[in-house]
Amino acid sequence: MSVLYGYAGKLLEVNLSENRFKDRVLQEKLCRDYLGGIGFNARYLYEQIPTGADALGPENILMISAGTLVGSPFPTASRSEASAKSPMTGLFGTSNSGMFFGIQLKCAGYDGIIIRGQAPEPVYLVIENEEVKVYPAGNLWGKDAWEALDILKTEYEEAEIALIGPAGENMVRFACIENGYYDAWGRTGLGAVMGSKRLKAIVVRGSGSITPFKGEEMLQKTLEARKRIMASPFYQPFKSYGTMNAAIPYGKFQALNAHHFTRGCLPDWKQNFARSRVEEYMKSHIACQSCIIACAHWVEINQGKYQGLKMKDMEVTPVTSFGSGLGLSLEACVQASAQAQKYGYDMVSIAGTVGMAIELFRHGMLTREDIGYDIDFGQEKAIFQLMEDIAYRRGIGHILAEGSKRAAGILTGSEDAAVHIKGLEMPMIDPRGRWTTWTLGMLTNIRGGDHLRCRNPVENLRYNENKHNYRKERFGFPEKMFHDLDMPAELKARAIDLEQDTVDIAVMAKWAEDLINLYNALGVCIRPPVMNSIGPGILAPFFEDFTGLTMSPADLMRAAERAWNVMKLFNIREGEKPEDSRFPERFYRQAIDDKVLPEEQIEEVLKLYYQARGWDRHSGQPQKEKLEELSLEQQRYFDSR
Amino acid sequence: MEKIIWVDYALCTGCETCRLVCSYNKEGIFWPSLARIKLWREKDQGQVYPLTCKQCASPPCADACLMNIITKDPVSGVNIRETEMCIGCRACQAACPFDAGVYHLQQDIVVSCDTCQGEPVCVKFCPHQALAFTDLDEMKRKKQKKRAEQSIVV
Repeated sequence: MSVLYGYAGKLLEVNLSENRFKDRVLQEKLCRDYLGGIGFNARYLYEQIPTGADALGPENILMISAGTLVGSPFPTASRSEASAKSPMTGLFGTSNSGMFFGIQLKCAGYDGIIIRGQAPEPVYLVIENEEVKVYPAGNLWGKDAWEALDILKTEYEEAEIALIGPAGENMVRFACIENGYYDAWGRTGLGAVMGSKRLKAIVVRGSGSITPFKGEEMLQKTLEARKRIMASPFYQPFKSYGTMNAAIPYGKFQALNAHHFTRGCLPDWKQNFARSRVEEYMKSHIACQSCIIACAHWVEINQGKYQGLKMKDMEVTPVTSFGSGLGLSLEACVQASAQAQKYGYDMVSIAGTVGMAIELFRHGMLTREDIGYDIDFGQEKAIFQLMEDIAYRRGIGHILAEGSKRAAGILTGSEDAAVHIKGLEMPMIDPRGRWTTWTLGMLTNIRGGDHLRCRNPVENLRYNENKHNYRKERFGFPEKMFHDLDMPAELKARAIDLEQDTVDIAVMAKWAEDLINLYNALGVCIRPPVMNSIGPGILAPFFEDFTGLTMSPADLMRAAERAWNVMKLFNIREGEKPEDSRFPERFYRQAIDDKVLPEEQIEEVLKLYYQARGWDRHSGQPQKEKLEELSLEQQRYFDSR
Repeated sequence: MEKIIWVDYALCTGCETCRLVCSYNKEGIFWPSLARIKLWREKDQGQVYPLTCKQCASPPCADACLMNIITKDPVSGVNIRETEMCIGCRACQAACPFDAGVYHLQQDIVVSCDTCQGEPVCVKFCPHQALAFTDLDEMKRKKQKKRAEQSIVV
C-alpha cells in the first residue's frame, strides 16, 4: 500500500463496556471508496450496527470522523461528522459540526473515534496524542454543558471537547452533542446515544501534524479556491450577516414555520428579524478553522431583560425555531439558544416539540393540570420552563422528551400536532409557502425532517415563482452563474434550463445531496458561497495534492453517492418505507395563504427523483444496476472485532 | 524603517489559517502547535488575539538567553535565533512578556517568528486582512485614515 498523506491514518475504537481501545489503520481502499467524514461513518456503522439494535442500548455505535481536508487551509475545511443509529428516527442518524474539533482530532493522531458498548458508570474520555484514557465522570455528571466545560477546561486547556448536557444524560431523544460552548452536532439525537453510553465528554488534545502530499500546490490551489468563493454573489451577504440573510425572504414567501407551522409568517417579522438587526448586537465575526467567510456572530445583548447575555448566535435556524416557531423576540431567541446549549438540545427538535405542546394546550388537549402552568406562543417564561422540564424529564417533560412522534403515540389524538418526517421534527421551511429543491430534500433526506442535506447550489432567494409547477424552480441568475457552477457540463445542462430560466428539482436534488455528502466527507462547509463555486472539479485536484490519492471529479462524486446509498441501505434495513417520505398531514390539508401541497404533483417529482437515483419507487431499494455501478456488493472494509 | 507584523484585532475571526500556513512554511508539514503565531481566545469575549514576536528593540529573550544566540538583524530588525546552538532551557520563553516563543516538541529548542525573510506567509494568507506587515509610519497613516473616515459626518 502506498503512503496515505493528509489523513492521520487511523481510527480509534473504544469499547466502553470492556474498557478496551484499539487502533484501526486506514486502508487505501476505504479512503478511495468512502473518502472520510460521513463516508467512513456510513460504511462502518452499516457493517457494525446489528439490524434492529436499540438506539439507546449498548449495541448502538457512535462515531465522529473528521473530514478528509480538515487540517488543510482549503477554505472552510473544518468540519466533522457524528453518526449513530438515531433514537429519533430509528434510521441512520448523523450530524455535522465545524470549529476546531476535527483538526484537533487529526493532530491527536486520529481521523475518527468509534464509541462502542456502554460504560458501567458515567465516564469521560480523554484522547491526547494517541494516548487514550477513560476517567469516571464523577462530579461532571449532572452538570449542564457549560458548567462541565468550565471544569474540563481548567484541566484540559486548549482541548476541544465534545460533550452532552442534562438532556443527553437523561436520554431525551433529541439531545445533541455539544461541540464546545456554542456549537453542536445537533440533529437526530446523537446526544441521547452518548448519554446511553454514559459518556459525558470526549476531550481531544493533539500537538501532532498532518503531512500533505504536495504542499506548495495546495497553497496555490487554496488561493484559487478562495477567489472563486469570494466572487460568489453570496459572499459579501454571508460575510456580513451569515445565515440571517434567509430570515426575511422566507417570511416574505409565507414559508416560515410560524407558530408551529400554523401560519406562514408573523406580524412585524420584517422589523423584528431583519438581518440588519444583527448589527445592533454583534461584537465580532467568528470563523471555523480555515474559513474565509466567518458567517457566525458574537452577540452581546446590551439592553432589556436579557442585558449582559453573551452568545455566539443570531443564526437563522435558532432564530426561526424559537422566533417564528415559538413567537419569541430576537433577544429571547438568544436566551433560548443559550438554554438549549446548556441543556444540550437539538434546537429544531426542542422548538418543534415545545410547539407541539403549545398547540395541544391551545386545543385543550393538554391542560394546566397536565403541564403545571399555562403556555402559549411568545410566553417565554413558560417556554423556558418547559425546556427545563423536558431536559430533566419532569412531569409532562417525560413524555415530550420522547420527541413529537413518540409523544403523539402516548398522548392519544395528538398525531396531527406532531410536525415531523420519519420521526424528526421539521425545520423552518414550510413547503406550502415555497417549493424548491430544498423542500423536496426534506422528504428525501436520510435523516428525516431536515433541511441540510439537499440544497440547490444556485438557489435564488429573490424569487418564489414556478411554485405551482412542482418540478421546476426559478433559476433567475445571470448566465455567468451557470457557467461558473462546478458541475459536469452534461448534467448542468439537464439540471438548469437557461432559456426557460428554470432548475429541474429532481435532477438537482440528486446532485445536491451527493455534493453535500461530498462536502461532509471532506469537511467542507455548505454555506451558499461555497456551494455555488466549489464542486468536484475544484476538489479533486486539491484532494490529490493533500492525500496523494488520484481521484477524478467523477470518482469523488461516485464515492459521495456510494455513501448516500449505504445510508439508504441502512435505513431500508431498519424498516424505512418509501411512503415514510411524506410531509405531515397539515401540509396537504390546511391551507396557508390559500395553498396546500398537491399530493400527485409531489409524488411525480419524487418519482423523477427515484429515477435519477436509480432506486425503485415501490420498494425504495437501490436497483441492481445502481448497486453494481457503485460496487456495493457484499464486501467488508472492517473486520468484526 | 523596520517592518513588523501588525494585528488588527477587530478584523481577526480566529480562523487559524495563519497557524497552518506558518507551520507549513517552517516545518514543511501542517503542524499548528509549532506555528510561530499564536491565537489567544477567551471564553465569553468572542474576540481572538493573534500574537507573534514583536521584534522588540531591546529583546528580553536575548538578555535571558544563556547561549547568546538571539541577535538583532541590523537591516530587517528581526530577532534571529541560531537554533543549532539552542539548549532548550526555555529561559527566553519565560522572559518574553508576550509568550511569543514556541517550544519545538521534536527538536527540543525554542523557535520564534522571523517574518519569513520579509514575506510572512501568515499575512499573505490571512483571509480577513487582520494581519499586516508594515512599518510603524505606514500603520499610523492607515489608522489615521480609518479614524478620519469614521469621523466624516454626512
